[in-house]
Amino acid sequence: MTGCPAKDQDRKAKIVLETFNFRIIVEYLPLYWKCFFATLWLSGGGLAGALLVGVLSCSMRLSESRIASTAAGVYIESIRSTPLLAQLYFFYFGLPSLGIRLPEEATGILALTLNSGAYMAEIIRAGIQSISHGQIEAAISSGLNYVQRMRYIILPQALGVSIPPMLGQAIVLVKDSALLSLISIVELTRAGQILTSERFMPAEGFLTTAVFYLIIYYILKTFSNWSQKRLIFRGA
Amino acid sequence: MKNRKWLSVMVAALFVIGLTGAVNAGTLEDIAQRGELRVACQTQGPPFSFIDKKGNRTGSSIELCELMAAEMGVKLKFLNYDWDGLIPALLSKKADVLAADMTPTLKRAMKIAFSDPFMYTGSVVFTKADSPFKTVEDCKKPGIKIAVLLGSTGETDAKKAFPQAELKSYKGGGPLLIDAVIKGHADIGVNDGSAVTGGLASFPPNSVRILPGMLSKSPLSFAVRYDSMDLLEWMNLFFLHISLDGRLDQNLNYWVNTMDWKKDH
Repeated sequence: MTGCPAKDQDRKAKIVLETFNFRIIVEYLPLYWKCFFATLWLSGGGLAGALLVGVLSCSMRLSESRIASTAAGVYIESIRSTPLLAQLYFFYFGLPSLGIRLPEEATGILALTLNSGAYMAEIIRAGIQSISHGQIEAAISSGLNYVQRMRYIILPQALGVSIPPMLGQAIVLVKDSALLSLISIVELTRAGQILTSERFMPAEGFLTTAVFYLIIYYILKTFSNWSQKRLIFRGA
Repeated sequence: MKNRKWLSVMVAALFVIGLTGAVNAGTLEDIAQRGELRVACQTQGPPFSFIDKKGNRTGSSIELCELMAAEMGVKLKFLNYDWDGLIPALLSKKADVLAADMTPTLKRAMKIAFSDPFMYTGSVVFTKADSPFKTVEDCKKPGIKIAVLLGSTGETDAKKAFPQAELKSYKGGGPLLIDAVIKGHADIGVNDGSAVTGGLASFPPNSVRILPGMLSKSPLSFAVRYDSMDLLEWMNLFFLHISLDGRLDQNLNYWVNTMDWKKDH
């Protein structure tokens, strides 16, 4: 089949166009846009919450108080040892039996926040503990107390080191948000499921879903590259 | 020399006959040769396909498939899927037969071939026992939350009957909807009458009330792919035989029309 490259490309394009029914995707694009923004806002909420919870639980873990340290430790270990899906089902199906019932989106963001928060706490802890002890000694001998030490010396350096793995966790969180489709939230993975159940076209449905997740991944990656140039404090 | 020539002619002839056999082999032949009938059934769809308290897969459709396999003389292999995963499983040739309480809608029939119906039911509305909704008309409020099953006729019926409602489509099976209604995630649920009654068996008695009236009438059928018309003919003949000799009525009376199955499962 030694034809000219142009003809080969035409043939391949024809095969792709005949195998996948793109007309359906165009018809369902409004649904995909709606689901794309739903995923963005759910992941965004989860990420913001995770950062807060992460910083909080990390400071508790590293504090000198035994109670705070153990409490944070229990939280972090129990989240890291159980699957996110089990945690999600517990919040959605289990909590109402204990009298607490939240709307789906709140449950979803709560599960994502608590789950990623634990991993963020460990990432930040690794960042903090990577700061050389010389810095801490210099800060103490300069007369700074714990809070001032953290605010002006430790955290700025630690966050710089932590940003790449934190962004990695952010990407994981976006992909984890796919599980929210199982508690009837309409987001990107659910869009693929809808195309499958209404038109019986799982290939087109989930391929389009994948393309949208790729877009989110590239947005995060661009932000990661930008922030590494701007925010990392490279020591003297 | 002549023997050699005859030999090669015979071999060629056998090869051609073998090939024709292979080309004409239908799904029934494949099943017979494989010795196994692969059935796509629901993970959780009482009383048609579910796991009983002993941990065995059982139900009305499961037992009908066991009868089918016995008549065919083959083994059975059950593949479990969520409701919306059944048709893709059949279309992707993972299963030969789809055995569930599926309504042969015209849209579905564009992709898969349905058998003649083995029973009739219809979509019903159910709600928590202490809820203020007493009739279907009460439910036609804007913003009411309805639990439906992703990809089911209940979903389409609910969209038609309650256009102002907020639909929550759950991926899974009937019991998920009952659970959502009981927990308060949804005000009402819409699903087949037979699935709701069957599903209620696992919940505390009188926790859920079924509102009077049906939103639609649904026949229920098994399904195969359009490339398995021989299997479809056989299945229709099978249903004819079991309805004539009473085994179909026996199955439906045990599983669907009464709660007799609850004693043993």
